[in-house]
Parts: sequence; C-alpha cells; structure tokens
Amino acid sequence: MNHLLRVDGATVDYTTRHGATRALDGANLTIAPGERVGLVGESGSGKSTLGLLVGRLLPAGARVGGTITVDGRDVLSLRPGDLRALRREVLGFVPQDPVGALDPTLRVGRQMRLALRGSAGEDGNPADLLERVRIDRPDRVLRLYPHEISGGMAQRIVIATVMAAAPRLLVADEPTAALDAQSREEVTGLVMDLAESEGTSVLWLSHDLRAVGRWCDRTAVMYGGRVVEDGSTRAVLDDPRHPYTRALSRSDPAHAVPGRRLPAIVGGPPTLVAGAPGCAFAPRCPRAVADCEGHRPLPLTVDGRTVLCLRPETETTVPSDVKAAS
Amino acid sequence: MKDTATESTTRPRNPVRGALASFDALTLTCAGVLALLTLAAVAGPLAGVGGDPTAIVGPRLAPPSAEYPLGTDSLGRSLLPRVIEGVGTTLVVSAVAVLCTAVISTAGGIVAGYHGGAVNGVVMRIGDVLYAFPAIILAILVASVVGPGRTAALVSIVLVTVPLMTRMVGAAARLVCVRDYVTAARISGVSAPRIMVRHVLTNVSGTVAVQTTYALSVAILVEGGLSFLGYGVQLPASSLGLLIQEGTVYMVKAPWALLAPSVILVLAIVAINVIGDSLRDRFEPRKARSL
Amino acid sequence: MRILTWLPGRLLGAAVVLVGASALIFAAVRFLPGDYAQIVLGPLASAQEREALRTEFGFDRTVGEQYLLWLGQAVTGNFGHSLASGQPVAGELAARLPVTALLTAMAVVWTVVIGVPLGILAGTRTGTTRSTAAGRLVSSLGVSVPDYVLAAVVVFALSSLPLGPSVGAVGAPAQDLGGTLLALLPPSLVLAVFTIAATARATRDAVLNVLVEPHVSAAVARGETRLFIITHHVLRNAAVPVLTLTGTITAMLLGGAVIVESVFDVSGLGSYLVQGLGRRDYPVIQTCVLLATTVFVLMSLIVDVVTGLLDPRVAVSGRSR
Repeated sequence: MNHLLRVDGATVDYTTRHGATRALDGANLTIAPGERVGLVGESGSGKSTLGLLVGRLLPAGARVGGTITVDGRDVLSLRPGDLRALRREVLGFVPQDPVGALDPTLRVGRQMRLALRGSAGEDGNPADLLERVRIDRPDRVLRLYPHEISGGMAQRIVIATVMAAAPRLLVADEPTAALDAQSREEVTGLVMDLAESEGTSVLWLSHDLRAVGRWCDRTAVMYGGRVVEDGSTRAVLDDPRHPYTRALSRSDPAHAVPGRRLPAIVGGPPTLVAGAPGCAFAPRCPRAVADCEGHRPLPLTVDGRTVLCLRPETETTVPSDVKAAS
Repeated sequence: MKDTATESTTRPRNPVRGALASFDALTLTCAGVLALLTLAAVAGPLAGVGGDPTAIVGPRLAPPSAEYPLGTDSLGRSLLPRVIEGVGTTLVVSAVAVLCTAVISTAGGIVAGYHGGAVNGVVMRIGDVLYAFPAIILAILVASVVGPGRTAALVSIVLVTVPLMTRMVGAAARLVCVRDYVTAARISGVSAPRIMVRHVLTNVSGTVAVQTTYALSVAILVEGGLSFLGYGVQLPASSLGLLIQEGTVYMVKAPWALLAPSVILVLAIVAINVIGDSLRDRFEPRKARSL
Repeated sequence: MRILTWLPGRLLGAAVVLVGASALIFAAVRFLPGDYAQIVLGPLASAQEREALRTEFGFDRTVGEQYLLWLGQAVTGNFGHSLASGQPVAGELAARLPVTALLTAMAVVWTVVIGVPLGILAGTRTGTTRSTAAGRLVSSLGVSVPDYVLAAVVVFALSSLPLGPSVGAVGAPAQDLGGTLLALLPPSLVLAVFTIAATARATRDAVLNVLVEPHVSAAVARGETRLFIITHHVLRNAAVPVLTLTGTITAMLLGGAVIVESVFDVSGLGSYLVQGLGRRDYPVIQTCVLLATTVFVLMSLIVDVVTGLLDPRVAVSGRSR
C-alpha cells in the first residue's frame, strides 16, 4: 500500500537532570493519502512527541531512532533545506494554543501574508482565506492584533493560514483543547471539511474520544510511547481488543451511565526508560500475567486491527448501553 | 513523585552535597572566591596579617617585596593590611546597606503586591522617583547633604538599590497574590499579615534571593564610586574605592597600588554577579530549543 | 488612535516623577541643618546679600510656595548663581553641556552598534557549554569592572604608551569638532563598556525568551528559514524588553559620565557636578542633579511611547519594565 506517512519503530529519548527518559518506545503508524487518523491516549503517552516527530520539530537534545517516511522522503536524514521544503510543501501543523501561535507584534493580515509568502497559497487573498474558515467581516479581523481576538478566532486564522498552503498531511495537536464547547465543534468540522476538499490527510491528536469517533476513519491508541491498538475507528472504539483501550473507552465521560460510577484506570502512567522489558501497561492491566512483565508484546492482527498485547480481549464485553451511546 | 521517594530511601543523599552539586563549577568557584575574601577580611586583622594598616613603616611607594607583599602607599604604609581592611570596610558597608534594602524592598514589594491598586501605585511611584536618579548622582546628592563618610555611602546604597528591588519583588508578589490559593486563603478568613508571610513571602523568596545578590554587587560599585570621588569612607580608614582612588594618583610610578584593590573589587563583583545569574537561572528556568 | 488611550497616563506619570524628584532635590538642600542663606551663599556673604537671598527665595512664605518659586525659576532657565564663581549656573552649564551630550551620544552609538549584535549572536547561536560559559564570564566582566577602574587603567595606558590620542582637557566641541570627537573616543568607549555588556545580556535574554514562544515554533513548522524567523518574528518581539532597558542605560551613562569625565579631565556636566560637590556649591549640585533626572525621565517617556508603538500589548497591559 502507498503510504503518505509511515512511522516505523520510532524512539525518542531525552536526557534530563534526573536521568534518561523515553518519550517514544518503538511507535508504529501509517497514514494513507486522504485518510483521517485519530491518535488518542492520555497525557504523556507520546502523542505530541509523535506529532512533532513527523516534521522533526522536537526540541534540541531529543535523540531519535527508527524511521519516519513522509511522501517517500526519509524525514530523519533530510538536509536542512529539504526538511524546510517538506515542512513548507507537504506538512501543516495546527497547534494547541492558537493565540500563542500568532506573532503578538504583527497584525493578523500582515503575518498571514508573511506566512503565505513562497507557499502554494501565496496568491491567495487573506480576506478570502478567512472567509473560507467562516470569519465574518474578514477585513476588520485582518487589522487586529492577536491579543484582540478570541481563541476560536485565532484558531480559525491559524487553520486558514495552514490550509492555504494545501498541505498533504495536517498534524493537529489537540487543536480544540483551549476552546469552548461551541467553537470546538465548529473548528473540528471546519478542519475536516477543508481537509476533505483539499484531499489532505489528517493526524488528529486528541483526548476527545467522541470527536475522534465522529470524524476519523481510523483510530490509533497510544500508551507508554507505543501505539497499542490501531484499526478502523468503529472497531477500535466500539469493540476494543487492547485492555488499555477498553479501560480508556470505559472511563470516557461520554460513555457515562447515569447513577453508575465512571470506572477509572487504576495507577498512573509510566515513566519510561530505554530498553525496559515487558508491556508498559502491565502494572495497571487487569488481564496481566507474569509474561507481560518480561516480554514485549509484538503486533498481533485481531479482528481487523493491530493490537500490541500478549492477551488481547477476545469478545465484546463492552456493555450494550455504552455501545449505543457512542 | 513516588519514584523519587523510593530512590531517596534506597540511596540516602547528603543534602549539602546535593545542593552544591546542582550548581556548576563556575558558580561554585565564585562562591569560593567570596568566602575567601570574607575570611581574609575577618581573620586578617585579627591575626594581624601584614601589621598595622595605619602605621607608616617603610619607604614611600615601594614595590611588592617579601616585607611588604603588596608594596607601600604614598605615605609609606604597607598596602597588604590596608587592602585587607579595605575589603572588610567595603563588604561591611555594602552588606549592612543591602540588608536594609532587602528588608525595606521585601516588605514594600509584598505589601504593594498584596493590596494592589492605590497602595501599589503609591509604592511604585515613590520607587519611580528614586529610580529617576542615576546611581552615582544620587550618591553625590546624599553626600552633599549628610557630608562625606560611611553614612553617606550607606544611605546612598540603600536609596539606589531599593527602587529596583521593590519593583521586582512587587511584580513577583503581584503574580502570587492573584493566584487561586491566595484568594482561597483570603476567603477562608486568614489574616492579611499571615497570608503575606505564609504564602506570598515564601513564593517570592527566589526573587528576593536573586535581587539581594544583584543589589550587593551594585552596593560595592556605588561604595567604590563614592569613595573614589572622595566622599565615601574617609581616611585614615580604608575601603577598596578609596585605595583605588589613591592608586590612580600615583599609578604611573606605582601601578601595583592601583592593581591590588582593583583586581579584588572586580573579582568580588564578578563573583556576586555570576552567583546572581546562577540563582536567577535556578528560580526562573527557561527551556532551550533550537531553530 | 490607539496611542491616545494610554499616552496621557504616561505623561502624567512622568510629570509626577519629575515633580517628586525635584521636590526631593529642593528639600535635600533646603532642609540642611543651619542657616540656608549661609549655606547657599557661603560664610563670606554680607548680611545684605543674605537678606536679598531670603527675599528672593521667599523665606517669609510657606515651604510649598518656596518650592514652586524655585521650580518656576528652574523651568525658565534660572538656576541661580554658582557660589564658587558667582556666575549664573545656566551660563556655565551651557558651556559644558555639549561635551557631555557628545560623550554620552557616542557611548549610545557604541552600545547599539556593539551590544545589540553581540546579544543577538549569543541568543541565536546555541554553542557548546564551554563557549557559553566563556560568554557568560566575559559579559559578567563587562558589567562588573567599575568605570572608575577601567577609566584609570585606560588613562594609564594612554599616558604611558604612545597610542595616539593623548589625555588632556577636553573643551567645547564648537571650536574643533574633529579634535573633540577624537579626544572623546577613549572616554566614550570606557563609558560604554558597562552598557554594551548590559545591553548584550538583555538582548540575549530577550532573544532566548522569544525563541521558546509558540509563534516561533509555528514559524519553524511552516518551514521558514532561520534567518527569516530571526529577522521577522524574533527581533521585533525581542526589541521591547531591550528598549525598556534604554531608560536604565541612560541613567548608567549619565552616572558613568560623572566618573569618566573626572578621570579623563573632560569639562562637562559630570565634572561640573563633582567640582560643585567639592566646593559645596549647592546651586550647581541641585541644577546638575535636576538636569540628569529630567533627561532620564524624558528618555524613559520616549522609550515608553516607542515600545507602545512596537508592541501593541504593552499599551494594554501597562508598563512592562
């Protein structure tokens, strides 16, 4: 199959004052052209690291292993000029903090023109671009400074700018986390619609299982720096096979059953070190056996999805009312 | 958090060594230099190193020798005990003044930050007025009013260092005071002085430490400058600024008389500034990233 | 216009500071222990002279009125007479001001031309730990060597080595501008060492602070070149904290001029002040201090306005110093 993005055994290590820590521990992920992939997992699972790694945007001091291929180019061995070309022509990033992503000293219009210079969107009129993201009176907005606009407005501006360059792959790192519920829906819909019309693939990093369930074709679940379950959204979220995915979908407030306590995942997320044996989820896993602590699980294909588990769940045990809610 | 707890039980660490190890070699060297200067200033006169600083003992402007390790001055006094005494005077005057500054600024900054509004405005305006005077010019005004001497140096240093430190502590305190835990403490009826000490003071202590260090280096500069102009510490006492001033008069004939106090003064200020930078990096950390 | 919303407040603030500072200068001398007329006129003045001064300063009026009288005269350029020479302070000052203006202007040029690029270089090049430590040490030295030590060493070097410009009395620039500029070269460099180092450090810190901002990360993610990001997105942002330092630098230069002018025998404002202090020439001291303070306050005001125009947030959030 012809992949737009292929991440193979990616590892990322940092050396901190307290010793070495591992942010990615052999993560695998592929995205086909036009595909919309949701990447879910709790804070510290490695989602953001993986997202940044796609454009080699990690902070200085990160040691990276494995291979990342975008549009046939080996990202980790690109020379600086080619890397910039890749970021400019193929990739688009939508950050978590939209207001911070705008230069505070420049008016919106001026920085949009600066950002579009030399890209595919160069001939685009900023006002037209803002209309595409459904901003009223774009001429007025273009004259404003970033501190004068709302988070939702800023995120639309960022999205308009990024999508003007017609990227092949859009990496969105919890782009709606800082927005209110109303803007969240609108912005998510906007990104997905624009991506569809441009044929852009989307890597959507999120905590929001419901949004992922609604908008993404495929869902990949991360835990402890690895993608532990990866398959069609319907299969992964409605009928999880990895014990972690199951626990995660049960603890999602969207699946709450009135009068019943929302099940939490016992324990805390792991701090990883390079070369640790076993499954990172084993200490918190209800199904763990002795082997789980000592052997790293290899990818298994179960019911049309890839699972990284020695003892994947075998049958549908999600209560039917939860299933209906999703 | 759990990991650190288990680690510290299995591997007990000496807290002093741990604290020292967290600073880099340059900072530790500078701390050592300061400790050495302080030791010399305290122990030197007690042990009578170099003899009586005021006694005329030898030829005028003699170069360094075994008998007079730093040479002699224009009156034939041995320079070594005079430099040691000068270090002591400079350090004492500066330290006492900075102590006053630290107390005034911390109290003023916290009160201004806690109350905000008009109180903050008044405190900061007073600071602005003092801040409008260039350091040495303010010192000259003070010296012209109170007359030359230690008091002039002391008052000048306090007036020069208070505005900046008050502003910094005030800004830090303001940030703390709008935090939810301070609001929570206010709502639950904790008294204002108690909040200021328990919550605000503890949280601005980093800023206080950094600014006190910087104030000390400014203090040494100002004391030296005023003494250099002849309006700080007066003869027959000695201070680094005074020795430098004397040194410049005869620097062509006897450059060593200028060299020793200058080098020590610069060393002390560099050491204090490096320690200040290091403390600032500690309390206001910043992540590095590449382009 | 946006600027009209915050400019009046800034002007008022500057006025308050100026009034406060002038009141302090007035009070410091007015409330000296002893007879004011004798202090101001010296012990040799006659009874009539003292009486004339008392009337001139309105000693029969309230302190507030006396202050206003004094301030009113100062504003109109009447700074009284020097006790030492008997000449009007305004006239003596006018002869000395151009040299100090030239000296500090040259120091400002060195500061901007050397300090800012050094800071940008230090902020954007993340070198080895050893080179970083070396840079730290050099910049620490720059802000730590007092001007009086440096001035003394330079004067010593210039007078003992045949290096070109000799040290001697530097007079009014009107007669021989080229010669004055050459003579002011060493003192202006000595004066600028501190501000160069301080500016370089502030610039470096400002650049580093901007580099970690998300909008820089966003520009990197867009595939912009390093140079483009620095010139378009970093420098303008970093300029604000550097510019706010300019007021402080003005104060440093004015204070430094006092020392440097004395050591290099430059007959400007600074050496006039030191002379005045030596003779307890209170009108001279008051005038020089008032002038230095006014220059500093006006510089800070100008910086505030420029900063407000550069960074729209400053105007909203208030002073950012």
